Amino acid sequence: MHIPDNYLSPSTCAVMGAAMLPVWGLAIRHVKQEISKAKLPLLGIGAAFSFLVMMFNVPLPGGTTGHAVGGTLIAVLLGPWSAALAVSVALLIQALLFGDGGILAFGANCFNMAFVLPFVGCYMYKLIAGKAAGSGKGRDYAALALGSYSGINVAALCAAVEFGIQPALFHDAAGQPLYCPYPLPVSIPAMLIPHLLVAGVVEALFTVAIVAFLRRVEPAAGVHAAEIKTKPIFILMAVLIALTPLGLLASGTAWGEWGADEIGAVESGGRALGYVPSGMEHGFDFRALMPDYSVNGLPDAVGYILSAVAGAAILVIVFKLIALAKQDRTGRAPAV
Amino acid sequence: MSSFDAPEWLRHSDSYSPGADADRFISKSIRAFLRVLSGLERRPEPKGRTPQPALFLTADFILLLLISLTQSRGFLFLAATIELVIISAQRPAAIAESLKAGAVAAVFTVVIFLPSAFWGAFSDWGSFLRVPFKVFLCAAAAALVPATLDWPRISLGLSSLHIPDIFILVLDLSVKYIYLLGQLALEMLYALRLRSVGRNSGKTATLGAVAGSLFLKSREASVETYEAMECRGFSGSYHSRRHWRPAAMDFAASAFIIGIIAAYIFFRGRS
Repeated sequence: MHIPDNYLSPSTCAVMGAAMLPVWGLAIRHVKQEISKAKLPLLGIGAAFSFLVMMFNVPLPGGTTGHAVGGTLIAVLLGPWSAALAVSVALLIQALLFGDGGILAFGANCFNMAFVLPFVGCYMYKLIAGKAAGSGKGRDYAALALGSYSGINVAALCAAVEFGIQPALFHDAAGQPLYCPYPLPVSIPAMLIPHLLVAGVVEALFTVAIVAFLRRVEPAAGVHAAEIKTKPIFILMAVLIALTPLGLLASGTAWGEWGADEIGAVESGGRALGYVPSGMEHGFDFRALMPDYSVNGLPDAVGYILSAVAGAAILVIVFKLIALAKQDRTGRAPAV
Repeated sequence: MSSFDAPEWLRHSDSYSPGADADRFISKSIRAFLRVLSGLERRPEPKGRTPQPALFLTADFILLLLISLTQSRGFLFLAATIELVIISAQRPAAIAESLKAGAVAAVFTVVIFLPSAFWGAFSDWGSFLRVPFKVFLCAAAAALVPATLDWPRISLGLSSLHIPDIFILVLDLSVKYIYLLGQLALEMLYALRLRSVGRNSGKTATLGAVAGSLFLKSREASVETYEAMECRGFSGSYHSRRHWRPAAMDFAASAFIIGIIAAYIFFRGRS
């Protein structure tokens, strides 16, 4: 998920970096409030830990291995704001010293892996675990697994959207992509399928294994992600739902707006003007695989919002049903 | 001297042959840790051969930004030429490191972009290879920083760029502890492998225990670090406002920054 330089346009990188500035600012403020001065070194050492977590290769069925990101784990162990700082620092060291992830794309990588991943993972954990958070019961571990699984997948989705808007927003006058060439219908399945099938499983296994170990060895290790309120997650969900048609609007207006100021480049470039890549229309048709998020007789944007609302509702229903099933089981048969 | 009577069971050789067991994930983890540790142990350029860290970082960042922004082939080739000249002036190990980083990233990009070329997203090879070429230049330029500067100089550079102290403290502590905790994790992984004779079905679960121990160890370390900081009267703020006399390399780096921006403006709008 480490985006290298030149896969995203510099302006996308600037926007993502600007989006991270208030997050970093808030994170420092929260950490200063929550963490006493005595625990300041914990930030650096937490960053070292989160860096090293990415080095562990976890065996997968079928003989392959994968490595975890550990964002949800850090968020549950240290709190989401500390996780945002720790993972950002880990990512900076990776970009500066090891060339993993671009320098310009640092903001985008932080947005996905240091902000979206730990927050989604941690809130999801809190939401599903409810009062069972930190209890060490089955529901608690299921919540951890689902939280870390959804955290990494939502982060992958964000990366996919960042890739996918590139060809629509940044192309030369001949319509040829300047950065990542894959539009949303390709980038989203390409990023999400491996994360849903492999990386998410690794993340969930690893998170649960470490937390289970810590609870067994040192129950006072503070593995409960206290002070997390679940209200912001609902606000965030509402904002995300409202923002879903953004990609649609962007791709709708971009061609007209961006074509005009790049005409100069056409005349001097002088090749392939008006070229329509027929392969794009007759190649793989991902719309056959992906449901078309439009509803008959409604504008596309409304269709998008409706699909997003429906998707969110389905998720809430599924989680509530899981919670209910867990409650029933623990109600009938006390914990073994 | 009477000969020592060894017990019966000690006299014949064992015929125990351990069953095959897969531990590829341990080897892969060990390799990943070794990569990190050896990456942090790099030997940097001697002082005087590189410009001031802050200038170096600024020049590198501007080069990356302009390469990424440009749509002019002329500027791209100019930037590539200058970059090759800079790389060629480094010591051989740094050259290899920088070129390898660029080549790996470029090959990866070509593989990723190939399907789009078959779709016809690009009309000619020139525009198809534009992004991989830019990726090569950027990755090679970025790899020059760790290949020529050691960590203390990078953090000095960041502090003269007015990055807040808390960030630099956190960065400094992280790098040191990545090394210390990395060695610890490596030792635990070696122990895990050595002690898994024959089939060990609990190995996978032990990986969680290794990482968990690492977390407990890191918490302990943070308490100890704070106590050590307090004992030495270190509050976490850095004072590195030393006066420096600009050397020849600093003038070269400044000239490079001005020149590359001028070239970018000159080539803007040209093909």
